[in-house]
Amino acid sequence: MGPLLELQGVTVGYGGGDILHELDLNVEEGAITCIVGPNGAGKSTVLRVVSGLLRPRLGRLRFRGVSIAGLSPRQILRRGIVQVPQERSLFPTMTVWENVRMGAYTVHDRALVERRLQAVCESFPIVRERRHEPAASLSGGQQKIIEFARAMMLDPSLVVLDEPSMGLDPKTRTTVFDTIRAMNQAGRTILLVEQNARSGLGLASHGIVMESGRIRLEGLGSAVLGNPEIGRLYLGASA
Amino acid sequence: MTLVIEAAVLGVLTGGVYALMASGLTLIFGVMRIINVGHGALVVLGAYLSFALFRSLHMDPFLSLVVTMPVMFALGVVLQLVFIRPLKTDREALSVLVTYALALGIEGVLGYVFTTNFVELRAWYETASFEVFGFHITWVYVFGFALCLTILGALFLMLYRTSFGGAIRATMLNRTAAQLIGVDVDRVAAIAFGIGVATAAAGGVVFGITNAFNPGSHYDLISRLLTIIVLGGLGSLRGAVIAALIMLVSEDITQVLISPVWANFVFFVILVVILIVRPQGLYGVRVRDRI
Repeated sequence: MGPLLELQGVTVGYGGGDILHELDLNVEEGAITCIVGPNGAGKSTVLRVVSGLLRPRLGRLRFRGVSIAGLSPRQILRRGIVQVPQERSLFPTMTVWENVRMGAYTVHDRALVERRLQAVCESFPIVRERRHEPAASLSGGQQKIIEFARAMMLDPSLVVLDEPSMGLDPKTRTTVFDTIRAMNQAGRTILLVEQNARSGLGLASHGIVMESGRIRLEGLGSAVLGNPEIGRLYLGASA
Repeated sequence: MTLVIEAAVLGVLTGGVYALMASGLTLIFGVMRIINVGHGALVVLGAYLSFALFRSLHMDPFLSLVVTMPVMFALGVVLQLVFIRPLKTDREALSVLVTYALALGIEGVLGYVFTTNFVELRAWYETASFEVFGFHITWVYVFGFALCLTILGALFLMLYRTSFGGAIRATMLNRTAAQLIGVDVDRVAAIAFGIGVATAAAGGVVFGITNAFNPGSHYDLISRLLTIIVLGGLGSLRGAVIAALIMLVSEDITQVLISPVWANFVFFVILVVILIVRPQGLYGVRVRDRI
């Protein structure tokens, strides 16, 4: 069986030159794949391509063996790929409940939406506890958890997370990573970009290091984390 | 005192009309982050469409909305597709130029078809009035206010009680996040522009009955509408309604208490004071709060 998500020779840019250069990348079903690398390496660009926000200029993009290159974000959502972006993405003046419900915007079966809401409330108790509060009143970490809960409303196969720990304190970061692990144990495949390489690779079953739009190294998360050169470049000299 | 109360009542009634016109403008800004400088011209176009139906078919101006609002909605969708959607970079600045060109185009066409002479929409309720608690109120203001309440109420219901309304609010609050939950933001933008232009048609009818107008009437109108949405907070419907009421009530009371000459001045003093205290307007969101 092939990988869940497959990028082959993907080249993409924003108009001022290419960001990704003939990138090959696989995401195996059930895995947590973490991409790390310096600023400008093209990590977030990979995620924008996967979620349909950016169209590849060259190359192939397949999900479950079927091409998804050139599809709109809405069409990609329907195939079971959900992205939680780097910046805060809740709708600040909507309540927590409204935000989570909006996650199922593309689902028209009301009974199914209600069932998913119940399931999400069981996995993320904060949704019910804070349901009437505007999203903007929650802390950064709580907002991130609600963003995960909203993503679960589509019962996705692949959850794409762009720097989920950015701007969070260490304690909240642990909670967020525990939640990512729980989502994975519940059967979701995770593709993660993380600036905090040590935390991201520590969580991941598969690690990828990117540099200048290319993959520099990949392997088991623990192996990448233990690589002396990567440790020196991205994790601090002591690693 | 009686005059002041009468002026305040009139201010509320006419404020409703401005609230309706401004709501379309602020909705368009909220969804697309563009300033539609052509909104005043679209209001005038709506008034002229009702005028044409009145002149050719003797259709009541309010009744003509059954025709003009769908036509203006369709026009709005087309304008968005042709002129606004192609703007990919520097959208805010370019949209001002594009919509100003649109306003000039509409003014030119209206001038060619209807000449630049002032016209007015006519109906029995234009001058007929009734007395309540000693005040004389002209029916047109009551009908106009009722129309505004109906349309604004429908707009609020659509925004807060329907799935598509949720998509519009989501797009207004965070365009990228809306895309990522499956909202077709291009479709939302086109329909929101259509709705905004259709509300301009409704506002145009009341404007056309209560004011003589010509193709150039949009200049004064757009400056007042922009002022209203800045005071209310760009992108806030509730803010547009409150700001319109503040503008019209303060102007009408000033006219009675001091002089018509000072009417605009007093409103602008209120505007400046509020913007010093709340630069984002009454219900606006500061840029740094969004980040």
